[in-house]
Amino acid sequence: MNNYYFIILSIVFILYIIHNIRRNDFTIKESFFWTIGCFVMMILSIFPKSIDFLAKKIGVSYPPSLLFVICIIYLLYICFKCSKRIAINEEKIVALTQEVAILKEQANEKEKRK
Amino acid sequence: MSKDKIMIVIPAYNEEENIKKVLDELKKDFKEADILVINDSSKDNTKNVVENENVKCITLPYNLKYARAVQTGIKYAYYHDYDYVIQFDADGQHIASEAKKLLKTMKENNDDIVIGSRYLNDLGYPCPFFRRVGTKFFELLIRLFCHKKIADPLSGFQCLNKDVMCRYSKVFGYPEYPDANLIIEMLIEGYKIEEVPVKMRLRENGESMHGGIIKPIKYMIEMFYTIIIIMIKNIGVKKVKKHE
Repeated sequence: MNNYYFIILSIVFILYIIHNIRRNDFTIKESFFWTIGCFVMMILSIFPKSIDFLAKKIGVSYPPSLLFVICIIYLLYICFKCSKRIAINEEKIVALTQEVAILKEQANEKEKRK
Repeated sequence: MSKDKIMIVIPAYNEEENIKKVLDELKKDFKEADILVINDSSKDNTKNVVENENVKCITLPYNLKYARAVQTGIKYAYYHDYDYVIQFDADGQHIASEAKKLLKTMKENNDDIVIGSRYLNDLGYPCPFFRRVGTKFFELLIRLFCHKKIADPLSGFQCLNKDVMCRYSKVFGYPEYPDANLIIEMLIEGYKIEEVPVKMRLRENGESMHGGIIKPIKYMIEMFYTIIIIMIKNIGVKKVKKHE
C-alpha cells in the first residue's frame, strides 16, 4: 500500500516540474535530471522487488541501504553540477561587470570631450 | 621609435584618506605614465576625490575585490594598447619613484613581469612574524616547484608587459589573491619573471585586506590548495607561452 504513496509523490513532483516550466520559472534543460529522478522513483515504487534483485546481484546484504547509496550519489551529482554552474556564472558576471565598467568610463570620456 | 605607453593601475576601496597623496606623488614623480584608478565600489568619498584629481577612473558597479579590480585595469590597458602596466596600491605603501625602477628593469632585461620586492635586499621594511613565515613558505614552494627565487611573492607592486596583460585579461577564474599561485603558473608557462629590490612605506590609514587572525589562516590554506592544484593541472605542460 505504501508504494502507492510514492507513485503519487513522483507524479506530483513531475507535475510540479512541468508547472514551473510552463510559468517560465524553470528550463527544460535543467528539469531533465529531476524528471529522470522522479521516473526512477516511480519505477522502484511499481516494482519494489527490483531493488532486492539489484542488491542481490551487487552483493549488498541489506537492500534499502543500496537505495540510499543510489539516492545520495545521484543528489551529490546534481549538487556538483549546480556548484559548477554557479562558478561559471560567477565568472561570467564578473567579466560582464568589468566590461560594463570599462565601457562606462569610455562613454564618460567621450562625453567630456564633447 | 614611438614612445611607450605606460599605465599605472590603482585599485582603491575606501581609500579617501590616502588616494590624494598617492595621486599627487605619481603626477609629480612619474609624469610619463597615465593613471587609472579602479574605484571598487567604495562606500566613502574615494570616487569624488579621484574625479577631482583629473585622472581616469573606472567605478565598478559592485565590489569585485582587489584582484578583480586590478584585472579590470589590466583589461582596460590591454584594450587601449598600452605597452606596460604597473600595479600600484592606493594605501600609500608604494613609492612612485620606485615604480620607475621596475619599468627600467623590464625594458633592460626584456622581462614579462617585474616584481618590486621588499625582502630581496634588506631595505628596512618591517615585517610581522606571521607574514614573514608565510612569505618564506611560499618562497620555498616557488623554489621547489619552479627552481626560481622570488623573495616577495606577496608583493602587489608589479610591472607587466603586453603579453602578460593579454594573458591576465583572458584568464578564466582569475584568482582572488594573485600572489605565489599566479607566479608559479606564469613560471610554468614560460614567462620571464624578475625581482627588483624596492623601498616601501608602512600603511598610514585604513585597514589591510590581510588583517585579523582568521583571514591570514584562510589565505594560507586557500593559497596552498591552489598551488597544489596548479601543479597537478600543469603536469607535463611544456614551458611555452600559451597565447603565442
